[in-house]
Amino acid sequence: MIAVFSKYKQAFILGLQSNLVYRWNFLARGLFSLLHLAAAFILWGAIFTVKPTIGGFNLAQTITYFVTLIILQFFIGAFNEDYQISEEIRNGLINQFLLKPINYYLYRFSVFVAARLVSGALVLIPLIFISPWIGSYLVFPHDMWRLLCAIPAMAMAAIIQFSIAYCFGMLSFWFLEIQGFVILSMAVETALGGQAFPLDLMPKAIFNIAQYLPFFYQMYFPAAIITGRIGPELITQGFMIQAFWVVVLLCTSQLLWVRGLKRHTAVGG
Amino acid sequence: MNYFKIWLAGARYSLVRTMMFRGDFFIWSLVELLWMGVNLLLVAVIYQHTPSIAGWTQYQMVMLVGTGMLVQRLLMGFFWTNLFELGRNVRSGAFDFFLSQPGHPLFMASTRKLDPDGLANSFVALGVVIFAANKLNLHPSVLDMIGYTLVIFAGLAIHYSILVLTMSLSFWLTSTSGIEGTYFALTEFSRLPKGAFHGLARLVFVWILPLVVVSNTPAEILFSGFKLSWALGLVGIAIIWLSVAIFVFNRGLKRYASASS
Repeated sequence: MIAVFSKYKQAFILGLQSNLVYRWNFLARGLFSLLHLAAAFILWGAIFTVKPTIGGFNLAQTITYFVTLIILQFFIGAFNEDYQISEEIRNGLINQFLLKPINYYLYRFSVFVAARLVSGALVLIPLIFISPWIGSYLVFPHDMWRLLCAIPAMAMAAIIQFSIAYCFGMLSFWFLEIQGFVILSMAVETALGGQAFPLDLMPKAIFNIAQYLPFFYQMYFPAAIITGRIGPELITQGFMIQAFWVVVLLCTSQLLWVRGLKRHTAVGG
Repeated sequence: MNYFKIWLAGARYSLVRTMMFRGDFFIWSLVELLWMGVNLLLVAVIYQHTPSIAGWTQYQMVMLVGTGMLVQRLLMGFFWTNLFELGRNVRSGAFDFFLSQPGHPLFMASTRKLDPDGLANSFVALGVVIFAANKLNLHPSVLDMIGYTLVIFAGLAIHYSILVLTMSLSFWLTSTSGIEGTYFALTEFSRLPKGAFHGLARLVFVWILPLVVVSNTPAEILFSGFKLSWALGLVGIAIIWLSVAIFVFNRGLKRYASASS
């Protein structure tokens, strides 16, 4: 067991080192996120001038939601894992894993966790920098239980995010180029994952459907727990659906890997 | 005339290529369609809760989003791939290829490929604008429509200039990967009504970077009629931005040292 753990610990350390090389890239992405936050601020600021609350939440609570999303995105979101996996398949780099007692999913997941620790830490820098301006808009509920619930929700959300990216990467066994699929799914994830707007603002019927989709649990679910947008009943139910999607996506990842390898030809020595 | 012939040859090549990869064309058209859907969904959801944003009603906002998308799709269709590759080519030295061609390097580098999926989606964006105009019960005159087309192309020139300026940075910086993200981050502002910007944001996004004006002016022409001063203003801004972009590109070109041995 310890031997298994130490294998992936090495992958994790390797991931930390290689992602620290890209620190400026992550920092630049953090700055782009601030532009996104500024756009959200302008849009929602204008919306709230007409009404003090929308969907039961005020401007500060809505801004808090978007700031939380940015932090979550850098801590648990999949960035370009799909491309990295796709590249490794296409270049034949995965061949080395076929001969070694290493599980490719766990190896990539260890690197993903390391990458998110680096990017998560880096996004805090621009946010701390702008905190004097946005500080007064940050209003988190004071319930301790919400933070406790947020931890497993974030962990499962990270697995869902990574597994979706992993499955898209696996498509490289069948398709030459996966970029189209990735950006296609990004559009769906932006809308149904709650990045464009808090999902609870959608009409009740659509919200109820969205709740059963995996995208709901990628970002919105942990963000809504932390910012108090959903109550205990929905959280309990959400955990069950989220766990269900974790199992489904893990199985799909494994299935695509096994099926993909049957089509894979390792060339060269 | 000569430039037109060169452009036509490139366009023909791009169309043939698209016919070869029909699946790709289908996927990318769907990608752009879905992204437009996301923006329209945002509008639909917000207006479930409020009657207006900065004085704009729901279908006025749909028209604004449609107009913003129209300019962006035209940019995607005509220039995006070319300019996106410009950064990479400068780094790899493949930019040499454009220097040896019979035309100004900026023209050659920005018009080599067409993206038919972007162009196909510009019709969808135009459809959104017409849909909104119908809902608003607008009956634009011929002059309004000419004015609208004029400012759309002025807007395209401004977007193009901003993208050229961004990508020209690759002449000075060694790594510009992800720099195109700046453009996408900025276009988010073009889908917002001018009245929503205040203070510093108004100065930066309305006056310094004319992204907000680019989408707001054409939409306003359709609601409240053509005003020559608006159109001339936007054309003037477009000429200034284009001149700056060409100037900066030419300066960058002087620094280009190729990468071959």
